[in-house]
Amino acid sequence: MKDENMDITSSGLLLIFRLGGEAFALSVSWVHEILDAQPWAPVPNSGPFAPGLINVRGAVVPVIDIRHRLGLPHSEKDLSGRMIVFENVIDGVPHKLAFHADSVEQVIEYDPSSLEPVPPLGAAWPQDCLRGVIRHGQELVILLETETTFAPPADRFAAA
Amino acid sequence: MTKTILTIDDSKAVRDMVCFTLEPQGFRVVAAENGADGLQKLRSERPDLVITDLNMPVMNGIDFISNARRDAAGAGVPIVMLTTESSPDMKAKGKAAGATGWINKPFDTQKLIAVTKKLLG
Amino acid sequence: MIEQATEAFVLEARELLAELETFFLELEDEVSAARIDEIFRALHTVKGSGSMFGYTALSRFTHHFENAYDLVRDGQLEVERNLIDLSLSARDLMISFLDLGGDGPEAEALLESEDVMRIVSQLTGLTGQHENEAETKGATGTEPVQSTPSQAEQAGRTRFRVRFRPAVDALRNGMRPDLLLRELEDLGSTSVELDVSAVPRLTDLDPTDALIGWVLEVETSEGREAIEDVFIFADDADLSIEELGCEGPLAETANTPSVDAASPAPAVSAKKTDPAAQSVATPKATAMAKSESIRVTSSRLDDMMDALGELVIAQARLEAVSEEMGSPTLETVVEDMQRLVMGLRDATLSIRMLPVESVFGKFRRVVRDLSADLGKDVRLLTEGGETEIDKNVIDRISEPLVHMIRNSIDHGLETAQERTELGKPAQGTVWLSACQEGGEILVSIEDNGKGLDAEAIRARAVERELIDANAELSVQDLHQLIFEPGFSTAKIVSAVSGRGVGMDAVKTTIDALGGSITVLSRAGQGTRITLRLPVTMAIIDGLRVRLGDSVYVIPLSAVEECVEMDEAENLRESGRSLLQIRDETVPYLELEELFGQQARPEAGRRIVVVRVDGVRAGLVVDDILGQSQTVIKGLSIYHRDIPGLGGATILGDGRVALIIDVVTLIRWAETRRGQGPRKAA
Repeated sequence: MKDENMDITSSGLLLIFRLGGEAFALSVSWVHEILDAQPWAPVPNSGPFAPGLINVRGAVVPVIDIRHRLGLPHSEKDLSGRMIVFENVIDGVPHKLAFHADSVEQVIEYDPSSLEPVPPLGAAWPQDCLRGVIRHGQELVILLETETTFAPPADRFAAA
Repeated sequence: MTKTILTIDDSKAVRDMVCFTLEPQGFRVVAAENGADGLQKLRSERPDLVITDLNMPVMNGIDFISNARRDAAGAGVPIVMLTTESSPDMKAKGKAAGATGWINKPFDTQKLIAVTKKLLG
Repeated sequence: MIEQATEAFVLEARELLAELETFFLELEDEVSAARIDEIFRALHTVKGSGSMFGYTALSRFTHHFENAYDLVRDGQLEVERNLIDLSLSARDLMISFLDLGGDGPEAEALLESEDVMRIVSQLTGLTGQHENEAETKGATGTEPVQSTPSQAEQAGRTRFRVRFRPAVDALRNGMRPDLLLRELEDLGSTSVELDVSAVPRLTDLDPTDALIGWVLEVETSEGREAIEDVFIFADDADLSIEELGCEGPLAETANTPSVDAASPAPAVSAKKTDPAAQSVATPKATAMAKSESIRVTSSRLDDMMDALGELVIAQARLEAVSEEMGSPTLETVVEDMQRLVMGLRDATLSIRMLPVESVFGKFRRVVRDLSADLGKDVRLLTEGGETEIDKNVIDRISEPLVHMIRNSIDHGLETAQERTELGKPAQGTVWLSACQEGGEILVSIEDNGKGLDAEAIRARAVERELIDANAELSVQDLHQLIFEPGFSTAKIVSAVSGRGVGMDAVKTTIDALGGSITVLSRAGQGTRITLRLPVTMAIIDGLRVRLGDSVYVIPLSAVEECVEMDEAENLRESGRSLLQIRDETVPYLELEELFGQQARPEAGRRIVVVRVDGVRAGLVVDDILGQSQTVIKGLSIYHRDIPGLGGATILGDGRVALIIDVVTLIRWAETRRGQGPRKAA
């Protein structure tokens, strides 16, 4: 479907965004849109993984704390930055979600042959969330394995 | 023993009519929507009389009659066609296919009962 | 009981007429034999059943209509524009007949009205057939037999000699000679003689052949016709009825023509039916599809929904009781029940889902009529008609869609001449499409007309003081302004588009449904409007409350009253917070605490008293904001299982508010407080 914000046509494209200075990437084909960061409605007793909900064009979309998932230091509810609205597929069923990124940088062409395994030094993050790294210019961009990154934790209901 | 009548018509209203008319007369009425459905019911219900419309989707009345006559379940069972006044050749076709008789549409309840009694006693 | 059958007929007829409209419109693009057949059959059914169920006027009118398509079927009449127009008008008249509820003075009046007469004369003009042929009364298939009543027949009893030999196939074809003979006996005294001359040797005998004949003498006062009546179905038999005088046979054998119409040959040919005629193998796709669904009146579905709602509540009470009783066996059963009830609820809700095609179909007619009215050449293409939406939603978007289509045709598409001058194809196109995307349905209307005029919009918006004269807006934002109330660029308010029913009204409707609407347009190329609608929809009355900075919604159905919280009326007893409300003690819960937020002391807090499981409890909130219709949006799998939450909704200001599920909330609170055997997770 065409979207006024992002043209999503080919699955060979990656969206690069930043969290805490690090560059991450995910496939553009599932990105719905990119919004300005906005406050979200907190969901009581939701646990740290999916703390809130936002309104995306009339749909109620859960907000995933990707930093928490990736083990990154927590940032204050920041009104700068962007919200990436993403469609994650779990067991073949698409689920819409959103997460906050410090910034969204660019879309690049993805060459599967250039994917390298994550270097052991940088493995502070949960391995199953990462597909590998790609060199882009001077830095390494970490390609996320979205299905596992955004998969709801087994113990979904965590009492506060 | 209660006799069973099979009514075949693609109009539910007509099927209902037949049912409401003949059940109080002590018959058991089963229904089918078209000729193919009718053949199935013919085999499973073994009715004592069949009343069939001619104009139906999937399989029309004439084809139903031909097929019924070729089937063991249809041997000797009286089959009455529902015909309209504007189709004299249908009567002939029906007879040729093996129909026992006919009732004109629109029919009234008395006529229906009379014909049923004539063929079933 | 006859009323039931009549009702069924009316329902059926309406369905058929609705289908017919679609078929006629399709004939404009493609004429297929299968379609013509279906059309004929539909008309035939309505005509035939009509007179059976007290709609003879309708039946008589339909007769002419049917004749026309009979000729089309035979290839004697061609389908062209004229016939299609006529068909649509005739069909509309059939609906009028149906609406009158059956025969009576109004139906007669309609039959003789100018409109009907005009259509009828046009139809008969095409078919060359006239009313008279329609008035043949129904009979039981008696061939017109000349029977000259002789005086003897009227003077009491007459004797007849009846010779009767059924056709060879008769027994196989269900004839019961025994019953016929008995009928004759009922007419009067009868003597019977067997004629076994045609019976062969036993070894050559086929027992299913009818080889026996009878000769009977019947003395009856009922006349020749009564005897002929007995044999009405035996027209292929060898039959002769002779009138005998009171003594012996008369010489007037000329009076007794044998009723021997059909040719005797069929005995052989009946067996060799043309195999091509046995069309079991070619079911029409639509006919098959029809038999896979059943008709249900809307109100029955609603009743079912209500019953289901009660079941869900009752099941919740059962759960509560089961917890009280603390029997593990019972609890397992109750858990199973909950699962089953939820499954049933989901299944029931899905019954309300209808394919969008049911709305799309209507529009073909709209486009057709509109293009004629506005003098434009337009065609409608649709896609994704099989996408399903809740019936309620479909009902409510129908009008907005019609409005937008009108806009497209009226304002968007240029006239054929203009288009040709612009190098566009003379015929304009309107696309209607629907698809599902996650939890939403996208419905879009697109045209390849001249698109929105951004500058005109800007000018108008400034004029209407919707934007500042200096405001800088992107083209996209300008386009979106058409949804603002009080906005309309139509210089001439055409009778077709209507006045005052603007795009803002459309937006309001869509918003109320919990959906959204956007427009995409390129000058000179066209415009596309996209609606996003929720797949399922439930609207409840909700009470909006504030807790800190967040707004929550409590279903009004659970709320009994709201009271002010007066610190003095707090009673702390065994860890439970209790309130004195009038002369009743009501326990209360600190929602903020339950929701893992710090309970901040705020003056003037309120208590919303709810009733759950027959018990009253109070929920403490910071403020009560008001009541509103709340569209429930389901929670994602990330939040679905959290007790106390029953969904989310979008407030008027666009913020997300959570809907509180009072039952699970209270129950969870109690377990938590009691720190009972069951843990919160």
